[in-house]
Amino acid sequence: MSSPVLEARGLVKRYRDLTAVDGLDLHVEAGERVALLGPNGAGKTTTLLMLLGAVSPDEGAVEVLGHPLPRRRSQAMMQVGFAAGYLPLPDRLRVREVLSLFARLYDIADPQPAVDDALTRFQITHLADEMCVELSSGQKTVVGIAKAVLHRPALLVLDEPTASLDPDVARRVRTGLAQLNEDEGTALLVTSHNMLEVERLCDRVVFVLAGKVVADGPPATVTAEYGHGSLEDVFLHLAERPA
Amino acid sequence: MHWGRIRAVARRHAYVLWRSPHRFFDVAVWPLVDVLLWGSLGVFVAQQTDQAGRAEATYLLAGILLFHILYQSQIAASTGFLEEVWSRNLLNMMTTPLTEWEYACGVALFGLAKLAMGITVVAAAAGGFYAFSVFELGWALLPIGALLLISGFAISLYVVGLVLRFGQSAEVLAWGIVFVVMPLSGVFYPVGALPDILQPISLALPTTHAFTAARQVLDGRPLPWDELAASALGAVALAAGGLAFVTAMLRTFRARGFVTRFS
Repeated sequence: MSSPVLEARGLVKRYRDLTAVDGLDLHVEAGERVALLGPNGAGKTTTLLMLLGAVSPDEGAVEVLGHPLPRRRSQAMMQVGFAAGYLPLPDRLRVREVLSLFARLYDIADPQPAVDDALTRFQITHLADEMCVELSSGQKTVVGIAKAVLHRPALLVLDEPTASLDPDVARRVRTGLAQLNEDEGTALLVTSHNMLEVERLCDRVVFVLAGKVVADGPPATVTAEYGHGSLEDVFLHLAERPA
Repeated sequence: MHWGRIRAVARRHAYVLWRSPHRFFDVAVWPLVDVLLWGSLGVFVAQQTDQAGRAEATYLLAGILLFHILYQSQIAASTGFLEEVWSRNLLNMMTTPLTEWEYACGVALFGLAKLAMGITVVAAAAGGFYAFSVFELGWALLPIGALLLISGFAISLYVVGLVLRFGQSAEVLAWGIVFVVMPLSGVFYPVGALPDILQPISLALPTTHAFTAARQVLDGRPLPWDELAASALGAVALAAGGLAFVTAMLRTFRARGFVTRFS
């Protein structure tokens, strides 16, 4: 069994009277492709933000490749890339400048090869000299994903990465991610509401409901366990279940 | 601390300034307006009065020049952080290896460049329009300028802390807070000119002692080390308080998940 790149134990997050995450355990091993699924408000984004050190858990612990958060957050983030469909890019910079900036934040002394590689991987070399403010939301999302892989992270965390993408661009992103996973062994932790995409990209799904893990396993196994024909049916079944 | 990351942050802000002509208002237009306003007022007072009035004209020009060290350092650091808020880039930055210290150093580094630009404008305008040289303060300009620089950065820590806690609506403080400090610090006049009730507050500010020291030097007296020491002590206390405050606000920011407000 390979070593975990991410290990979260007993995560709890409360916002006043609401328990957003309720004793969640999650581990992701090297090279795994994991989908974190659940209806809106299930606690997925809060969980991801705790895994990234942007939100502190009330209880529980997170380790990235043995680096505990928040004490060794900087070292942990050297191994992690993050992108979200809802995150914009700095407006007044060109795409190449944004990517170079983030490459330098990841201690890449000569950013150009890493920037060119990321642009090529997601087929967006034509955007290199565009101003970020002039990009469509879909193009911004893809640039955001390219930004997250510059340093060839051990773990790539993606929150709704293809939510604003047309099917063609979404397919290119999936292909780029799958290729990255195969070439570099990068583990993927993805949230998505597109179950077809999850079935194509991920080899393990973790369903979260009211901040708790309610199902964890390969898509086919989870689908069979719930006696449904597809992951989407399982999603609907769980979403309609009382919390 | 990684120098490469610090430089990257400074470079990011340099791009933003270069591509946003309206941001030059803080660096060029506002300092010029201040010199014209206070310089002309000083000349008018000097024309109406005697030797003391002429001294006041010098106080006004030296005061506005030194005030811009405080203003530019505070505004550069505060708007540096606010730039991440405006472009909703905070979460992007927080999920990299960049540490809070490295970020602060990068913003401060860029702030020094902005400060140099702003002070150059003030000094050139004061020299060109009113034949006032910044070097009338001599070597005293260095310690006094350094103390105002530290005070400006320290004040920005409180602004950043309040934005972290209360969100973007607190950004008004970035421009407003030094104008609260300005009259209390006796930028243009001695502390004795303030209402009695405000004088203890004024004396507690490190900026007040820096401006008092500057006026004494302009009067031809030796550098008042006691005023500099009081200013240094106050600046260190202000910076320590600012660090403690921003650290506490950052803890609250992470604990309450406020990052989602900015993304």
